[in-house]
Amino acid sequence: MEEKKIDEKESIELILQMIQSTKEYIGIGNGNHFLYWGYFTVILAVVIQSIYELTGWRQCGWLWMLMFVFWIFMSIIGKRKCNPVMTYTNKVINHVWYAIGIMFLVTFAVIAILGVTYDNYRSLDLMMPLSSLYVGIGVSTTGIIIQNKVTSYLPLLGIGIGLYILAALYLDLSFPIPANLLFGLSFVLIMIIPGHVLNKKENKEC
Amino acid sequence: MLKELDPLLHSQLRLAIVSILMSVDEADFVYIRKKTDSTAGNLSVQLEKLSAAEYISTKRIIDGKKTRTLCRMTDKGRNAFENYVEALKDYLNIKK
Repeated sequence: MEEKKIDEKESIELILQMIQSTKEYIGIGNGNHFLYWGYFTVILAVVIQSIYELTGWRQCGWLWMLMFVFWIFMSIIGKRKCNPVMTYTNKVINHVWYAIGIMFLVTFAVIAILGVTYDNYRSLDLMMPLSSLYVGIGVSTTGIIIQNKVTSYLPLLGIGIGLYILAALYLDLSFPIPANLLFGLSFVLIMIIPGHVLNKKENKEC
Repeated sequence: MLKELDPLLHSQLRLAIVSILMSVDEADFVYIRKKTDSTAGNLSVQLEKLSAAEYISTKRIIDGKKTRTLCRMTDKGRNAFENYVEALKDYLNIKK
């Protein structure tokens, strides 16, 4: 293409052709990010529960802090991978996840400060159900933006599990299955299934 | 009377660049070069002209060992493009 004058009809054709050529980037994108997070969380939930059952070590819940290590790792990987183009959809989704990330940090900071102040770290248990709520809201919002029904609605079930864990902790109820595994199950619904659905849809479109 | 078509946009490569940038929030130099099938030199000159007219903004960022140039439309550029399309409709007698 050069710097040459074109007539009016060619102008319209060129505009349409260029808009069409950028369309490939306006697709829904793949669900790999959800899968990395989803599988990591579920595996960690199973590992923590197994350690607890095998050793009886009550402080093994601190291993959930590995989520923050994984977050840093994923951020570094994400920075290395630069997209040649940023669509409006990608931008909005990035902002949604930025807000969710901030919510995580604020929640953790408040819970940690309370723990240090009152020398009682029981409130750290709240991080699990709150994670299901925050991540569920993030994935569901992403689903609404990209107009994918499974990604929009399935996380609501995971949010329901998160709310159940929260209520059970508040009311001091016993869990039918360990809370760590319930939390893992919520992430299957919130991230793993939607991730696979998005990947399948993307493969179909390619 | 028909409106005059914006001479800055009424050129093949510049119109292609602006059409791409109207469809996305931000795009880098390499992406635009591939999509417009233009040479790096020519593309740089046209980006410079659009930037001088404040139709687009460009930003250089360091990405590892490489430098990337990111381009995006400005409000002035958006208005100019919309006016250009409206004028085209008049020329081609497309009903609004």
